[in-house]
Amino acid sequence: MQNNTKNPLIIALMGVLTALCLAVQLSPRPPNVEFTSLFTFTFGFLFGPFLGVLFGSFVMFVNGFFSPWGFAGPNLPFQIAGMAIVGLAGGLYKRYVKGYNAAGFCIEVAVLGAFLTELYDLVTNFGVAFSYMIVGMNPSLAVFTALAYGTPFSLVHVFSNIAVFGIMFFPLIGSLNHVLRVENLG
Amino acid sequence: MVEKRTLLFASLLMFVLAMLTSSLAGYFYLQNAVSSEQNAENLQSIDAMATRYNDAMTKYNKLLSDYSMLYGSYSLSQDTDFTLPTDSLNDLLDHAEGNFSSLLASQKDLNETCYELRGKCQALLARGNVTREEFGELLNELYELLNLLVIRELNSAMSEVTTLAINMCIDYGNETVKWYNNTDVSPGSSLFQAIQKVATVNYTYYAWMKPGHIRLTAINDKEEYAIGYSEGWSWIWYYWNDDLQQLVSGPVGCDAWMLKDGGTYKWRFEHWSWP
Repeated sequence: MQNNTKNPLIIALMGVLTALCLAVQLSPRPPNVEFTSLFTFTFGFLFGPFLGVLFGSFVMFVNGFFSPWGFAGPNLPFQIAGMAIVGLAGGLYKRYVKGYNAAGFCIEVAVLGAFLTELYDLVTNFGVAFSYMIVGMNPSLAVFTALAYGTPFSLVHVFSNIAVFGIMFFPLIGSLNHVLRVENLG
Repeated sequence: MVEKRTLLFASLLMFVLAMLTSSLAGYFYLQNAVSSEQNAENLQSIDAMATRYNDAMTKYNKLLSDYSMLYGSYSLSQDTDFTLPTDSLNDLLDHAEGNFSSLLASQKDLNETCYELRGKCQALLARGNVTREEFGELLNELYELLNLLVIRELNSAMSEVTTLAINMCIDYGNETVKWYNNTDVSPGSSLFQAIQKVATVNYTYYAWMKPGHIRLTAINDKEEYAIGYSEGWSWIWYYWNDDLQQLVSGPVGCDAWMLKDGGTYKWRFEHWSWP
C-alpha cells in the first residue's frame, strides 16, 4: 500500500482519471450516465481498497466543486462516502475473483455495478434528505421525498451502469494492466 | 445445486430491483399526492372565483336597478331642474364607492374617474338648478363607471386562478432600451397598471379623453417636454399586432388598453411635431 501511494505512475494515473471523470461530467450527456463509478471501481480493483477509497473520495471532492450542477453543498460528504464505498468494493472484489472467464466475470461486475450504484444513490439521497432537514422538513418525510424524487434518476443511473460496468470493465482493466504493467493482477 | 457465489450475486440483483421498485412506488405515490393537492387547490380557487363573480354580479344588479330608477326619472320627467335626481345620483355614487372600495383603492385610474365624477356632481349640487343636459351627462358617465367597475372586479376575481405573462419594453429614445420579459400581471390589468410594475411613472388625468383618461408624462424620471407649441418629446405606447406582425401605435389611453397573455408592449420616448 505504501509503495502504491509513493508510485508516481499511480499518482499520475489518479490525476489523469480524475481529470477524465470531470471532463465526462462536464460534457453533454444524458443525466446520471457517468463513468466515475467505473473508474473508481477499476482503480480499487487494480490498486487495492485503500487507493480505491482514496481515489473515490478525491474524485468526488473535486467533482463537488466543478460539477455542471454547481457546488454540491451539504451533499458533498455523502457523495464522497458513496464513491469511497465503490472504490472499496473494487479493492475487495479483486480478492474474491474466481477467474477471468469473460461472460461470468462481466455478469458479476454488471451486477456489482448495479448494486454499488444503488448504494451510492441511497447514500446521496440521504444527503439530499439531510439538506431538506436543515431547512426544517420532518426527517421521515425528507427521506421519503428524497428517495422518491430521486427514483427516475436512479433508474437511469443503475441501468446505465449495468451496461457501463458489464461492457467496459473487462477491456478497461486489460488495457490499464497492459499500460501500467501492474503486477499480481490475478 | 446452486453455487453460493451465484446465489450471492442473484441476491444483490434482487436487492437492487426491490429497492428500485419500492422507490418507484414511492415516487408515484408522491406524484399522486402532489397532483391531488394541486387539484384541490385549483378547485378551491375556482370556487373562490365563482363566489366573487356572484358577489360582483349581485352588487352590479343592485346598482344597476338604482341607476335604472334614476334614468327613468331623467327620461320620463318633464322638469327642468334636475337638482333632486342629481342628489340621488350622488348617493348612488356613494354606494358604488362603498361596494367597490377595495378595487378603487388598488386601481388609481378608476379612483380618479370616480373622484372626477363626484367633483362634477358636487359642483352642480352646490350651484343648484341642474339642467337636463348636465344631468344626462352625469348619468352617462356613471353608467360607464359602473360597467368599468364590474369588469375590473371580474378581472380581479380571475386573477385568483391565473396570471398573464407579458413582455414590456421601454425605449428611452437615447439608444437605451430595456426589456422586461415574462412580467406577471393579473388578468384584466391595463397597460397603465403594467408599466407601474416595472417603472416609476408620472401621469396626467384627462376627464375629457375617452376611452382611457391617462397619459404618461414621465417614465423613470424621463420627463416629456415641449419645444414651443408645435413640437416636443413624449411617451408613446405601442402594442404588437399579431395580424400585421408589427408594433402598432396605441389607439386609446393606456388605462383603457387591456393586456393579453404573451402580449408585447412598448413605451417609446419620441419626438412629435405639428405640421
